[in-house]
Amino acid sequence: MSQSSVSSLPFALRSLTRDLRTGEIRVLALALIIAVASVTAVGFFTDRIGRAMERQAADVLAADLRIRAGQPLDPSIQTQALDRGLDTATTTQFPSVVLTNDDESQLVSVKAVSDGYPLRGTLSLARLDNTTESAPLAVPTPGSVWVDLQLMNTLSFTQGDVLQLGSREYTIERLIRFEPDRGENVFELAPRVMMNATDLEGSSLIGEGSRVRYALLMAGETGAIDDMRAWADDAHREDVTIEGVRDGSPQVNRALDRASVFLGLASVVTVLLAGAAIALAVRQCALKQADASAVMRTLGAARREVVAWLSWRLVVIALGASIIGIVVGYLAQMVLADLLKEWFRLALPLPGIKPPLIGLLTAFVTLAGFGLLPVVRAGTVPVMSVLQRDYTGLSASTWLVGLVGLVAAFFVVYLQSGNVQLSLIVIGGVVAMLSIFGIFGRAIIAGVRQLAGRRWRLSVAGLQRRAGSSVVQLSAFALGIMALLLISIVRVDVLKAWERDVPADAPNAFIVNIQPPQADPLVERLRGEGIDVPGAFPMVRARMVAINSDVTLRSDSSDEHQRRHARYEYNLTWSDTLPEASVVTKGEWWEPNDERPLLSLEQEWAERQGFNIGDTLTFRVGGQDTTGTVANFREVDWESFKVNFFAMGNAALLADMPHTFVTSFHIDRDFGAASSEWLRAFPGIVTLDVGAIIQRVKGLMERAALAVEYVFLFTLVAGVVVLLAAVQSSQGERIRESALLRSLGASHRQIRESILAEFAILGAISGFLAALFATIVAWAISRFVLELPFEFNPLLWVTGVVVGTLGISIAGYFATRKVMKTPPLIALRHT
Amino acid sequence: MPDSISSSLSSNTPASSNTTAAITGSGLSSDTSALVANHISKTVSGPNGDLTILSDASVTVETAEAIAIVGPSGSGKSTLLGLLAGLDSPTGGDVELLGQSLKGLDEDARARLRAGRVGFVFQSFQLLPGLSALENVMLPLELAGLDDARGPALEMLGQVGLADRAKHHPLQLSGGEQQRVAVARAFVSTPALLFADEPTGNLDGETGAVIIDLMFSLREQQQSALVLVTHDTALAQRCDRRYKMVSGVLSPESDASHPGGTA
Repeated sequence: MSQSSVSSLPFALRSLTRDLRTGEIRVLALALIIAVASVTAVGFFTDRIGRAMERQAADVLAADLRIRAGQPLDPSIQTQALDRGLDTATTTQFPSVVLTNDDESQLVSVKAVSDGYPLRGTLSLARLDNTTESAPLAVPTPGSVWVDLQLMNTLSFTQGDVLQLGSREYTIERLIRFEPDRGENVFELAPRVMMNATDLEGSSLIGEGSRVRYALLMAGETGAIDDMRAWADDAHREDVTIEGVRDGSPQVNRALDRASVFLGLASVVTVLLAGAAIALAVRQCALKQADASAVMRTLGAARREVVAWLSWRLVVIALGASIIGIVVGYLAQMVLADLLKEWFRLALPLPGIKPPLIGLLTAFVTLAGFGLLPVVRAGTVPVMSVLQRDYTGLSASTWLVGLVGLVAAFFVVYLQSGNVQLSLIVIGGVVAMLSIFGIFGRAIIAGVRQLAGRRWRLSVAGLQRRAGSSVVQLSAFALGIMALLLISIVRVDVLKAWERDVPADAPNAFIVNIQPPQADPLVERLRGEGIDVPGAFPMVRARMVAINSDVTLRSDSSDEHQRRHARYEYNLTWSDTLPEASVVTKGEWWEPNDERPLLSLEQEWAERQGFNIGDTLTFRVGGQDTTGTVANFREVDWESFKVNFFAMGNAALLADMPHTFVTSFHIDRDFGAASSEWLRAFPGIVTLDVGAIIQRVKGLMERAALAVEYVFLFTLVAGVVVLLAAVQSSQGERIRESALLRSLGASHRQIRESILAEFAILGAISGFLAALFATIVAWAISRFVLELPFEFNPLLWVTGVVVGTLGISIAGYFATRKVMKTPPLIALRHT
Repeated sequence: MPDSISSSLSSNTPASSNTTAAITGSGLSSDTSALVANHISKTVSGPNGDLTILSDASVTVETAEAIAIVGPSGSGKSTLLGLLAGLDSPTGGDVELLGQSLKGLDEDARARLRAGRVGFVFQSFQLLPGLSALENVMLPLELAGLDDARGPALEMLGQVGLADRAKHHPLQLSGGEQQRVAVARAFVSTPALLFADEPTGNLDGETGAVIIDLMFSLREQQQSALVLVTHDTALAQRCDRRYKMVSGVLSPESDASHPGGTA
């Protein structure tokens, strides 16, 4: 008779389907579904966006991996790439001069491309009248060239014209409307002429001393690309520049980083809230199951069997909720992905397998963390409790349950954030918050009792009598309300501040290469056209030749770091005043007439290069050297899109050096038409339209903000579920109490008022505590995550208390309906 | 064994002398008592030192015999019942349940010993709220390892008059109906021994009487021994013998109307 046929799983399934009708199992399942759905949706979404970003970044490189150098690349590199099954193409870029039949000449940037270019992204081409989209051509036909709008505006070509490049003439075949890998350095753009790589052979275009940049483009499977990169890093790190898809545009990267941090945070908060709801619901379930466990063991079941049965229930609940949660999460991410689909132009990559697995893991870890101990305890409750109620020992060692729950919560947060330190901070914050909720809650309840009149005494006495569960409820309420408040602050205050980062009048046009005599007339003309121009900034092109006078930089140095500095061409400017969108973070800004040559460096860049305040840097401009001392570091807000520089000096350092001017401004009119006129009036200047980029970044931010709000919906629902679970947790007790009071002669009205008052007091206290913590958390998010100034919102406290009082009272009202509906006899009998 | 008494003397149990029926019904041989408790006691430590809830109680219940334990609330009746059924361990003395000593058995081993052979009827019914009436009745059979528990459980529900309520859940049943399901659950495994703890305590008089009649008739049919805890002396009279419990002290009740009822 030792073999039991109560095989735990079928029995668990059978009893569970029945129990699904009870409140606490539903709350438990709901909380799990929300946690899994949130984790899965955010996981799917960030995964897909991440991969779409990489594709987008690949467009900018025209490849998945690009290797560049100032000298012809070792052919073995291409062999290695081909060996790994990668597609390859080459580009060769160099400055040259074109001549037209009318003897006009123009400095251009020639790019000779091989078959296959571009490996990622597409060239957009047009016939020379610029009206009809051209049928796609692979690369320029040998003997022909493609030119960009800039060159066409300057030299006025028509279809079929020829231009002379070096000693040969080339037919102009197409106009380049968009070149994916164009934007390497916006200040170095000369008009583009693109030709077929085969035309380079035998031409005299590349001579001794030409500044040529050779690039090998590669594309293929991620594994092969990673492998290739590792090989190149190892074999050629000294002499080439290796660029992968992860080195994208800083503005876009920051916007997406912030969005994913936000999404991650929202998801962590959701999971924590769901965890709180699960903890409350599981405790209720365990209390009920303790009775069943005692009966079963009285009838002959072993503890092991009962624990197995109860554990199977948890497994089934976790599995069921996970499946539903994953489906919900999948559907939710489809909506999210739709928000960003247009932005990426491309179809987003398909969702991967990892997010649902993490969702599943989250469900099991949460349920095991909060549920396993109560279940084991329910399974081992003394059997004598079937005869004597006071035998139940379920309340013991709540600490242990809490501790195991916290470990689980830590693990879940870690699953989301992948960051141990952050997870510890979050869990530490939760512990601190719950402790304070507990301490304050108890104190405030005691204080209210002192103040309460006769009418309220019953309610407050009720709160205090159940001090333990009151504080648990209070914490849960406060947690839920805090989540709701946070969502509103974060959405309204923080997201708006984030969007303000890119103002509507952000500069969308740059003009560079303005000669000194052109600067003032150009600015005047622009102003005359009604454009708000801040002025023209001088720009000096320089190479760094020495650091602290003892390190001399040479482009053939054996030290890679030095060689990089020596090869890099810096754009420097000078100014007496700190530029807009900059803040001095270290050192002092200089006085206007300081005679000493001084330098100001962008902080992040300077720290990466290892520069310090007081270092002296020597730059070579043309043939002249100029040496300055680093006076300060600046933090630059690149998202402002205003002209800014990594390194800038004062007049004493740079004013005598050969320079051009640069300006940026916002223009509402058609840029193409306007710039054609400026180009004619001020020969040599280069105009750049960055409006498209700004629009894209701005659009991205708006959509990312929308995505974040959307994910916060999960948080909202999780907050409501916590409230539900908290109300639910005291319902049994309330039903018994009210039955008792009614049998003693209390009217429905009296009991209802008493319960409502109790909830209202709880709600007001929780609302106050919630506002306190929402403010603290919002401040921390602004300060540390978004790096935006925090605006204190006094309305929040009013909202917190009002929402708390009303919301919890309403929840309480619904809770009391069942209390009221249960006849006292039944209530007392079913204890 | 001074308390040991022949089981064939009760005027209320005409079938109880049929030992053959007892053997088939319970799997016990005629020379084994259903329950023997030797000098058991229970002491618990409280805030004011040790507290003796039960001292030196001895009880013997023969196969198919019915005994009643009568006493006021708080006298320790339920504690004694729990000890006799092996739900708790005495601090002194030994209990022999269905021929096996409980000494040295852990809780799970005691549970195994009960499975399918010991039935319970509680004051507060103790049906599992998640299971239907039928599933509640199936439970002891399933715990005893029976493959098809459904047939016998349905039949048993029919015997207590609830065949049409098989799919109802405890909360959809009246108190009397719930207790009838509990009775069906107690008898479905043809137990050798039945423990009943104030089975009518939560029921009105009429309903209670129906339950008691049902319980006693099934007991006779199945030749199950019965340990009944009650404060109702009239109910106790239906048993073969009675014990009185006062402040943790158990004593056999001498009753002139039941000749040979006590030693």
